[in-house]
Order: sequence, then C-alpha cells, then structure tokens
Amino acid sequence: MTSANSDAEIPERVIELRLPSRLGYEKVAMDAASSLAKRMGFNGERIEALRTALAEAVTNAIEHGNAHDSAMKVLVMLTVRPDELSVTVADQGRKQLDQDQTTLTPSLEETFEKQDKGGWGIWLIRELMDEVEFSTGPSGGNQVRMVIHLEK
Amino acid sequence: MLEDELSVSIREREGVAIIDLIGDVTTFAEEKINSAYAQVTSGGAKRILLNFRQNDYINSAGIAILIGVVTEVNRNNQKLAVSGLSQHFQKIFRMVGLAQYIDIYQDEDEAVKGFATAAA
Amino acid sequence: MSTPAQQPSIELYFPSELGYEKVARDAVAAFARRVGFEQERIEDLKTALGEACINAIEHGNAQAPGLRIAVSCVCEDERLTVEIQDDGLKHYNGHHVPVPIESKLRGLAPLRGMGLMMISALVDEAGFTDSPTGGNVFRLALYRRRPVAAQ
Repeated sequence: MTSANSDAEIPERVIELRLPSRLGYEKVAMDAASSLAKRMGFNGERIEALRTALAEAVTNAIEHGNAHDSAMKVLVMLTVRPDELSVTVADQGRKQLDQDQTTLTPSLEETFEKQDKGGWGIWLIRELMDEVEFSTGPSGGNQVRMVIHLEK
Repeated sequence: MLEDELSVSIREREGVAIIDLIGDVTTFAEEKINSAYAQVTSGGAKRILLNFRQNDYINSAGIAILIGVVTEVNRNNQKLAVSGLSQHFQKIFRMVGLAQYIDIYQDEDEAVKGFATAAA
Repeated sequence: MSTPAQQPSIELYFPSELGYEKVARDAVAAFARRVGFEQERIEDLKTALGEACINAIEHGNAQAPGLRIAVSCVCEDERLTVEIQDDGLKHYNGHHVPVPIESKLRGLAPLRGMGLMMISALVDEAGFTDSPTGGNVFRLALYRRRPVAAQ
C-alpha cells in the first residue's frame, strides 16, 4: 500500500476483478489490464509484456493455487498510480508455492528432459515486469504482485 | 490519470474539409470537436468529413456532441459526412436518427467521391 | 439447476469516474467472448454496458468522488446477465420519455439523455431491479441469438 514517498498524497485508483478458476478466463484480466494500460499511456510493447505476464500469473493461480476448483476465484487487483501500474493476482487455494520455485531460472536443456514442460511462467513474469514480488495473499493463498513503470 | 483519449487534426482534400478524429469520442471530446468544426467553418468549408480512426468507443455523450455539430451544419448550409466507423457504430448512428442528416461512408476515399458525385 | 461450474461469473469493481467504464467494457467483452457469444452481440453489450456505467457514475453516484461501481456478469447457457450497481447517492430509475432527434436539432430538447434508449435497442432485457444493499442496480440481459420478436 505504501510507497517510498509516503509523506506525499499519491492518488491511486483501484480496479478489482474476480474470475472463475477455469482456463480461458485469464483473457478477462488481460483485456482489462491492457485497456487500463493503454489509457494510462503505456506503449504497445509494454502492454504486450503485461498481458503475457498476467496470463502466466492467472493461469498459475487457476492450475496450481486453486487446482481448477470452480468454487474458488482468482482475485486480480489493478492499481493505477501516476507513474506506474501495479497488478496483484491472488488465488484462494491451500497449495503454497515453494519459495525456491519463484527464483530459479529454468534451463532449456533440462526442460527437454522433463515430462512437464512448464516452469517458465514465473521466470517469464520476472523477465517482463519491472518489479515482481511473491507472497501470501490475504485469504492465505499465493499472491504475486507485478509492476510496470510509466516512462513519460 | 487516464489520458485524454481523442486527438483531432484538420486537412483538406478535393474541396472537402476533413476532420480526423483519432481515438474515443466521449464527453471529453466536446471542446476539440467543436473547435475543429468552428475552425473549418470560419475557413469557409461547405463540405465536411468527420473521419474516425482508431476508434473503439463512441458513447451517447459523444453522439450528443455530433448532434450539436449537425445543428450548426444545418444552420450554416453545409454538408456533413462520416467515414471510418465500424459496422457497429454505423448501426448506432442509424439508431439515433443521425443517418438522415449525415452521409455514412466506409472510408475517406468513398466519402470524397460521394461528395463529388453529390455536387455534380 | 445449473451448478456454479456451469454458470461462470465475474465481478468487477472500478472507480466511479468517467473513463473507467472503458475497462468494464473490455473486461465484460472478454467474458462474453470466452462464453462463446458472437462478435456483433458483444459489441452491442459493450455499448449498452458503457451507457449503464455512465448513468451509474453521473446519476446514481451523482459524480461524487471516491465511490465505486460494481459490475457482475453471469452466463447461464443461452443468456448472459450483467448487473451494474452504484452506491445510490441519488435514487435513479431513469424514467423519461425518449426524445426524437428532430427536437434536439431544433434546440427544443437537451442533446444528451440517449443512453437508456440505446441500451434498450441493443440488449434483450434492460431495467432497474431492487437492491437489498442499497444503491441503484441496473440489469441487462442478452441472449445468444437475438429473439425474433425484438426487431
């Protein structure tokens, strides 16, 4: 909630989205985020990067956090500030993300060997976003916060 | 913190004053559209084309602005046309009754041709 | 009846400020696309939803700062229902007589006020409903195929 300049009144606007835990609904988050980012003045490339990172985060929440449980929701919060857009994705699940998994860099060669070709999502989020933070959400599930900075 | 959505520019082509409307047309567009119209009118324009580009959103407030322009166009004996609208927004224009007062063309070339034919 | 899995839904909350309705339009359009509605119906829904949100911002919330609009969408097989709720600073039920464009052109009527007319022409069901929690609730419903009667 707070930022470095906490003595100044930084205006912010929050948009909240609750999505079903089923694949395909990440598009709703992606389109909402790009609609917002476009209005804020982000360029096409940054918007594409946000879409991809958000797709990964929401898909993770659906597949791993909520384990495709349709009773659970994925919560997406978009916070508009004068010089940045911050997006938080939280699941409501019980399956905690192993913190080690959030920092490793996958290797292409190892991936060829593995059965499960995944594991690139988190790496991709880190590559694409200006700030990334993994934590535990308010409902006890996983939460990832990603930020893109507006260059004017 | 959401940027102003519309940029407006004016040019002339084959006797038609073309007002390019790039972006969304909502209540925030009022001053820009009205001053572009005033500018081409004071320049003596009799044929005016509103050319919509990169448009995804026109709401009823935007349509109200256009109705205001039509009122002036009728008063000033000018002819007004639009181009570049999606099928959906062409439908909206017809629905609110604007099609009786504004010629709707698919694109700029068609509009310029249409003006020339009407003048003949 | 249908279980939650068969009735996908989304909820969206956004600031009650002009401009933010665009995000609601795009989010709801993506939802409608995901549940398989056709592009033309989606365009109709986007426009109708935008108008309903603007009414909520300008009338229901009386353009007061710091408030929110809540939009919820549910898809039940053939029908998509959207509800737009404001904080109800002002009771608004939009009763008014539609004005022909000729009156507007002659300066006999205000230029604005076409939102409800546009909404009714674009979606299959539209109107205010009761809200248990206070605030105005406007409901839109759209069928996959436009009912033949409504032409």
